[in-house]
Amino acid sequence: MAVVLPNEFNELQRFVEYWAAPTAQRRFEIRCESDMAAITEFYDSVLARGEDILRYLEKFPLANMPPQAELLFKLLLSLAHVAMAVEIHGEPRVPHSPYPNGLRITQGPIPLG
Amino acid sequence: MNFETSFTSRGGMTSEPVSVESYISPEYFELERKRLFGRCWLVIGRVEELPNETDYIVRDVEICKAQVLVSRGRHGKISCFHNVCSHRANRIVLERTGSASAFVCGYHKWTYSLDGSLRGIPDSPSFFGIDKRDCGLKRIATEVWNGFIFINLDENPISLKDYLGEFGELLEGIHLPFSSTPIVYSAILNANWKAVMDGFSESYHVGAIHPNTIGDSFVSKINPYGRAHDMQFGGPHHRAIIVGNPDYVLPENRRVETLASSHIENMALSTTGNTASGANADEIAKMMTHHSVNMSKANGWVNDLNMIFPNFHIDLSTGGFWTHQFWPLAPGRTRWEVRLYAPIALSVRERFMQEHFTARFAEIVVEDLANTERQQAAMESGAKPFMALGDTEALIRHNLIHVDKWVRAETVAEAMEI
Repeated sequence: MAVVLPNEFNELQRFVEYWAAPTAQRRFEIRCESDMAAITEFYDSVLARGEDILRYLEKFPLANMPPQAELLFKLLLSLAHVAMAVEIHGEPRVPHSPYPNGLRITQGPIPLG
Repeated sequence: MNFETSFTSRGGMTSEPVSVESYISPEYFELERKRLFGRCWLVIGRVEELPNETDYIVRDVEICKAQVLVSRGRHGKISCFHNVCSHRANRIVLERTGSASAFVCGYHKWTYSLDGSLRGIPDSPSFFGIDKRDCGLKRIATEVWNGFIFINLDENPISLKDYLGEFGELLEGIHLPFSSTPIVYSAILNANWKAVMDGFSESYHVGAIHPNTIGDSFVSKINPYGRAHDMQFGGPHHRAIIVGNPDYVLPENRRVETLASSHIENMALSTTGNTASGANADEIAKMMTHHSVNMSKANGWVNDLNMIFPNFHIDLSTGGFWTHQFWPLAPGRTRWEVRLYAPIALSVRERFMQEHFTARFAEIVVEDLANTERQQAAMESGAKPFMALGDTEALIRHNLIHVDKWVRAETVAEAMEI
């Protein structure tokens, strides 16, 4: 059976398939390739639970989380990328920049880099 | 402004417009291949990338068509070789990184020791009495400075110490924190390598190109045009001391950034530059106490930009250090790499902050890279054969002067003359 989010974060389950990605590069790409409606819906929903998510995840060792927690962590990490679109650009990507743009995050921060 | 007191004049430079020829000319690029990248010391990696005996890495210097095999042999000594077999001149090592007790060419299994000597030839009697001692890997001059591995493709190079000169002495012994764990970005850009590097050599553009990503934390009422606080020139190398906006306050609408900074008491750590965490303050402090850091004691200091000629930046900031490297592929094509050296996060909050920093840095460089590609295309139109350079852009002028000196000099001694 596929891993699902911890019970108390049930309402975020609908974002998992699209937004929970294993690397910083993939999270960067997903955000770049999303439209503003999807970005805003994700941003509003996950940010509303942001502090709850951090408190929940703090119970586990960073490098060795149980699968459900790790899935939640991946969603949270995507929030960092989505914030670029919502809080900085007001559009999915840097204005006047071509996409794909050739930039790669070849190693993100550890873990889940 | 008064030219006599400018950085430009202090660097011994005049102020006239500069030709864009070196950014677009295939002939000039050929000279750079032979006389600049073929003769200068080049950073090829850091010692932490091959921590143990028998570790190796493989790196490319495309402009010289060279592939460099960096090997840590027995007793820890680092050597560099051309990754080319003595038999039929094929590639030997195909992995980018690894550990090996010997290097074996896949074509016919000629085998080399880690010190580059030829160890074995299958069916050696068929090679007409070949002397194995003449068939080692071709060695590349290698030296290590502050943990950076340098190579020189010239067969008789000057010493790295002489090449770095006073600049090398100034930065000697600096503690570079978190040097084992870089966050790495790379991009292939449609722009000349100098155009890409120029974008990271002046802060005049920050308010214009990065208004929402870092502009606010950088440009201030007292420094609206991003002037450098100070510049220093040492041979072909140079450095600038950069200040930010000391009055910057995180805007309220930056809600995710606020959440991602929830564990930091000193917000100055995360506003500009690299990212670290309070738990690693000692590591940063060790770097900051080095005499070269913020030498002019600038208020609102955010970073020292140190350029090691011709294509390497070491930036030191309140959050640690990062490096840029600009590798020419063709006159209008560059491989650019940046490494932000960051600690391994100890908590979920730190890790989340690092992701936010990583994401924001990507936006900043996308702004730069899109801008530089536009500039390259415009330069190639030939509409403007010359460009104007202001005093805040003195590092660009300084670099162009020295690149030109190297490509015109018959000998390295002539290129290094001040």
